Amino acid sequence: MGWINKQRNILDFALNSLLRRKGKNSALFVVYTGIIFLVSSIIFSSESIKRESQILLENSPEVVVQRTIAGRHDLIPEQYIGQLKSIRGVQEVKGRLWGYYFEPGVQANYTFVVPDEFLYGPGYIVIGNGVSKTFLAGKGDILPFKTLDGSYTSLEVADILSPDSEIVSSDLILLSEYDFRKVTGMQKGFYTDMILKVRNTRELQAITDKIRRILPDTRPITRNEIMRTYEAIFDWRSGILLAVISGAAFAFIIFAWDKATGLSSEEKKEIGILKGIGWETSDVLFMKTWEGLIISLSAFFLGVFFAYIHIYFASAFLFMPVLKGWSVLYPEFRLVPFLDMFQITTIFFLTVAPYTVATIIPSWRAATIDPDSVMRL
Amino acid sequence: MLSRKSDFFIAFLVICLMLLLLMTVHAAFSVRHAMPNIQAKARMVRGLHLTDLSLFTDARYTRHPSMADLHTAFQDHPMSFEHFPSGAIVFPPSHIHSYGLDQ
Amino acid sequence: MIQLSAVTKVYNAGKQNEFTALRNISMSIDPGRVTVLKGPSGSGKTTLLSIIGCMIRPTAGRVLVNGKEITSLPERFLTGTRRMTFGFVFQQFNLIKGLSVIENVMLPAFPCGDPYGTMKKRTLQILDILKIEDKAKSKIEWLSGGEAQRVSIARALMNDPEVIIADEPTAHLDTKLSEEFMDILGEMKSRGKTVLIASHDPIVYDCKIIDRVVEMRDGTITGSENRA
Ligand SMILES: Nc1ncnc2c1ncn2[C@@H]1O[C@H](COP(=O)(O)OP(=O)(O)OP(=O)(O)O)[C@@H](O)[C@H]1O
Ligand SMILES: [Mg+2]
Repeated sequence: MGWINKQRNILDFALNSLLRRKGKNSALFVVYTGIIFLVSSIIFSSESIKRESQILLENSPEVVVQRTIAGRHDLIPEQYIGQLKSIRGVQEVKGRLWGYYFEPGVQANYTFVVPDEFLYGPGYIVIGNGVSKTFLAGKGDILPFKTLDGSYTSLEVADILSPDSEIVSSDLILLSEYDFRKVTGMQKGFYTDMILKVRNTRELQAITDKIRRILPDTRPITRNEIMRTYEAIFDWRSGILLAVISGAAFAFIIFAWDKATGLSSEEKKEIGILKGIGWETSDVLFMKTWEGLIISLSAFFLGVFFAYIHIYFASAFLFMPVLKGWSVLYPEFRLVPFLDMFQITTIFFLTVAPYTVATIIPSWRAATIDPDSVMRL
Repeated sequence: MLSRKSDFFIAFLVICLMLLLLMTVHAAFSVRHAMPNIQAKARMVRGLHLTDLSLFTDARYTRHPSMADLHTAFQDHPMSFEHFPSGAIVFPPSHIHSYGLDQ
Repeated sequence: MIQLSAVTKVYNAGKQNEFTALRNISMSIDPGRVTVLKGPSGSGKTTLLSIIGCMIRPTAGRVLVNGKEITSLPERFLTGTRRMTFGFVFQQFNLIKGLSVIENVMLPAFPCGDPYGTMKKRTLQILDILKIEDKAKSKIEWLSGGEAQRVSIARALMNDPEVIIADEPTAHLDTKLSEEFMDILGEMKSRGKTVLIASHDPIVYDCKIIDRVVEMRDGTITGSENRA
């Protein structure tokens, strides 16, 4: 009980002493909260996209076989289907038809995808919500597509994919094989790439090895690799995101260190007085720890809360310009808060701990001055 | 009741902790609420054999990073600035490094 | 209640600027009496007060407070003894700016861990004794010199110490305030406190409440005069 009372007393003093240096401390607090906000926003949003992408891409093809010529993705001939089928353990092989379409009118890139079975048949398309928005096209509208020979072919919008699915479908234009080949000029007997279904995922390694051996001009891409690609992009523990995060954290540590090492002469005098009137070194250090904790805990909570609101309620509006980049068409989607304690504790240790330590260490010297110095102030 | 500054601060911390708890509860509910929708998207991915998220449509290697061929990510000089901001976020997929180049 | 035997204090021992501030001082201070240390500047008064008040340790010799040897105590216990046994009034008041009177007076009790209510009640009592209870909520910067002096005495009394140590308490006060200050010390004496003052101000050492004057010069005691 005594210890708690004492800590509360010291906390009182720490609060008072922060309030006495309002200007300096509030500037620090604002910067600090901003950094925590930024770091948390990055962690929240990247974690959300990553987790969602993992769930979604669990459903992507087990193996994609891509043909490359001169280092470039090239069309894959139909005959490869047979060869791939002959590999032991391969259950099913299908040619995929997909490609890009640049629409000069709206300066946007769309992705053509030919479904296995396109219900509406030739003459119709089903478009993603992003396509609908940029084209200002709704159900029943007829859109012109420039074909390879320079003429235009008109396709009617039969349906619009659910806006909820924009994260995977925003720029998609689903169409029949016939229209696809007509617009893109891709000849019969060729596919964009091929997908495999395997009987047993444990044989995957053997199968991909075999593919590379019998079809040396191709490259198998497994579902695992697809998923890893996204894991790497949105893994804040590595790469660019970490660089941004640690850059921010590092800048702040320097900032905080600078602020804390420069204990003002007034602060030093106060510590002298406290020691003179009977505070122990540890009491002074507790006081400084509280000062650090008051700022860093408050900044932590506010930063995290604002980040949560920013990402999950305000559609990450501050990040959107960056994500949008140059693309005319960008998906609009609500991130799902796959929040776990690991993210929170990471943010905590990335921010609160360094700051608190950075404020205590420089106080050590001041805290250990002899109490009699107060007699000579 | 709250006569001391420390009372206010402790109250503030308690409120923050409760908000944090509320936040995790909200998150859990949101995830559960979003699941049917995510599942619908997952079905779409399966049905259309999709391999990538439609996040960055500016370049081939950012629209379909997992399908990017060996050189698309390095079409320009490796040290050149990206034409597209998203290129600074999207890495070349790791399997580009692990196979292909060393064949 | 306080005994010093053969106390020596050497500053910066072993270094080029080594300085012996106190040489072989032996004396004892009786409870309930007012003692003045008198002597020219640099004679070691502040140093002696610091040693008696458990702020620094002597280089040699022994100090006993209430029969307990304190020179060999670890820092924490030394601080504890100091906090509970001594109240300090400094030359420059040394109050903390930005805090109110009541907050300043309470500070020495903070490490004790008493309940806040108890602490506050005692503070108000002390302010009442010193007749500055109406200033309890004022900020230190607003106080007059005399009021600040009272606040610093109040702070010294906070932990109800047996001994009040005052180093040059009247240096910044005019004659009237100095006399008022001595009256307050007289009041403390009548409440049974032991008072120890370092001063070369005649208002202090000629005051009628003084029981004993100890004269110092160059770190030694050159004379002692009992008045009571
Ligand atoms: N930390 C220190 N290091 C070195 N010398 C010191 C230190 N503290 C005090 N001294 C020296 O010790 C001597 C005695 O100092 P002290 O402050 O005790 O004198 P004093 O009698 O209180 O003087 P005054 O009346 O001016 O306050 C002085 O010469 C001073 O310079
Ligand atoms: Mg002195």
